[in-house]
Amino acid sequence: MQTDILTVGLVSLLAGAIRMSIPILLPALGEIFTQRSGILNLGLEGIMLMGALAGFGGTFFTQNLWFGLLAAVITGITFSLIMGFLSITVKANQVIAGTALTILGTGLSTFLFREMFGIQKLPPQIESFAPLQIPFLSDIPFLGPVLFNHNIMVYLTLLLVVCSAFVLEKTPFGLQVRAVGENPRAADSKGINVTLVRYLCVMIGGAFAGLGGAFLSIGFMNTFLDGMVAGRGFIAVAVVIFARWNPYRALGAALLFGGASALQMRLQAIGVPIPHQFLLALPYVLTILVLLSVSKKAEFPAAYTLPYSRSER
Amino acid sequence: MKKKFSLLCIVMLVISLLVTGCGGSSAPASKSTDASKDSGVNPLKVALILPGKVDDVSWNQAMYEGMKSLEKDYAGKIKVTYSENVYEVANIEPALRDFATQGFDLIMGHGFQFQEPIIKVAAEFPNTKFALGTGYKTAANTCLYDVQLEDGGYLMGTLAGLMTKTNKLGVVGGADAVEIYRGHEAFKFAAKKVNPSIQIQELYTGDWRDAAKAKEGAMSMYDAGADVIWHSGDGIGLGAVDAAKEKKKFVLGNVADQNVLVPDYVLSGIIYNWTPVIKQMIDDILNNNFTNRTDKKYMLTVANGGVTVAPFHGLDSQVPAEVKAKLEAVKKDFIDNKIEMPKFAK
Repeated sequence: MQTDILTVGLVSLLAGAIRMSIPILLPALGEIFTQRSGILNLGLEGIMLMGALAGFGGTFFTQNLWFGLLAAVITGITFSLIMGFLSITVKANQVIAGTALTILGTGLSTFLFREMFGIQKLPPQIESFAPLQIPFLSDIPFLGPVLFNHNIMVYLTLLLVVCSAFVLEKTPFGLQVRAVGENPRAADSKGINVTLVRYLCVMIGGAFAGLGGAFLSIGFMNTFLDGMVAGRGFIAVAVVIFARWNPYRALGAALLFGGASALQMRLQAIGVPIPHQFLLALPYVLTILVLLSVSKKAEFPAAYTLPYSRSER
Repeated sequence: MKKKFSLLCIVMLVISLLVTGCGGSSAPASKSTDASKDSGVNPLKVALILPGKVDDVSWNQAMYEGMKSLEKDYAGKIKVTYSENVYEVANIEPALRDFATQGFDLIMGHGFQFQEPIIKVAAEFPNTKFALGTGYKTAANTCLYDVQLEDGGYLMGTLAGLMTKTNKLGVVGGADAVEIYRGHEAFKFAAKKVNPSIQIQELYTGDWRDAAKAKEGAMSMYDAGADVIWHSGDGIGLGAVDAAKEKKKFVLGNVADQNVLVPDYVLSGIIYNWTPVIKQMIDDILNNNFTNRTDKKYMLTVANGGVTVAPFHGLDSQVPAEVKAKLEAVKKDFIDNKIEMPKFAK
């Protein structure tokens, strides 16, 4: 009996950790591309909110979740172009540009939501992605409910981890991205279009962040709420750094954070004698500790946050 | 590089804490409505300052709708101006002073964070009346209003305690604010009273907007065997409702009748109706009864019809008659002032 309760609890915890890690992992994957090319996009939070809104709006008006995802990706890319323009073309300070983008996204998503749906007594809702029941796999004891009882977006995200790692490490484009992030002048002299590669990377980051936002609004929840991203965009930036710009490590890092978040809720619920304020801070404390431990090893791309100009030395 | 790294980490952590801490965006929007059409007398000018948005499905919206409905009844007698998203303490004092200099008669601050600014500004404008939503400080020209959420929590605890089959309940809240805390404690108290062997899981998400977190929390409670969960409100409540839908278990709502969201699993809930309370407050002002009132508190209670239980809708047949009878008995006891529960205070 005792072991039964423990198993059920563990299954619930691990499944929860996976669910909570996805909205961090998705934007983190895109941010790996962005940062590898030398751009720090702190505007993820704002892009995610816009993606969450677009995903919800797209689904609500077309009644098709895939159109919702498409709308989220397009919005994410469009919104990230602002970041691209500011940091690449105008060569503005990236920290400030990113922060501004977050503030813009927060306000704009709230405003547009009100414009689209007006003031309603209860929020508009959609039918979100249902968990997939995979024959055989979902029935495996323990592993089934932990790994094979999620919605399609979770599996897509895992697939994207592999794709991202492959693109970055094994393709010419990945090499160009890394070259641009390490030494844009050398890359330029080899005929790589630095501006283009950086724009593409920022757009990839925007697409992933849009997806991450949409996961919250139409993948996990079924409505849009202003500020629903709730800091996950910033956690994603932290995840990228402590994953040292590697998609697989980002998966681990996101799981760690998602796990801490899922764990603290369960600890609160069973009533451990720790004030809940401390438990709520647990994922953030963990983030600090992990960041401290990996910071010695972190090797930033050499051209990190440095705008490139051919005419300047 | 290391220096840059640590700087970056600090900046990010601070920002993420800020963002999670205060989900509200900072774009105050004002709307004024014209309730006074043809009456010759000057209507009472009321300013309602809300910390959130009027469509937050919760705290702010309930007040907004209560005020809207009173505006209709009191057309010509009052004129209300709404101001949304005044969340940060730094913005509150200027907003209060602004409305006071514009000659508003009653200025309402709908949240605990308005307490200190109201006390301060009220002293500077002795002829203006102020109302503070939740808190404990008053002055001659100010009053308090609040939800007696322990009434609601008590009713929900009774219902949940009688309806559970697994003897496990859950309660999910946003931030650990005073009235939410009282509601939760009363919920647990009442559930244990009707069902002494009950186990209750409790969870605060620490904010009002992170519905995904609340959903995950509620799912973990259902996984651990709970079969009825009450959520105490705001955006996060939608997460609990969505968890009920996914896990096919009962959930009890708060603030508004949320049955339409998931008709099969939203069993009931608490509905706030602010109209009787603000009506009383405005009547007192119109009759010159405001400043000389000894009891400075206007409470939303079961007795005055401010806190009601949502109907069971399609789930009516699943609620045994004796549960309904018990719930009615508790409601009647509230009206007759016969409910005994400890004072829940922190």
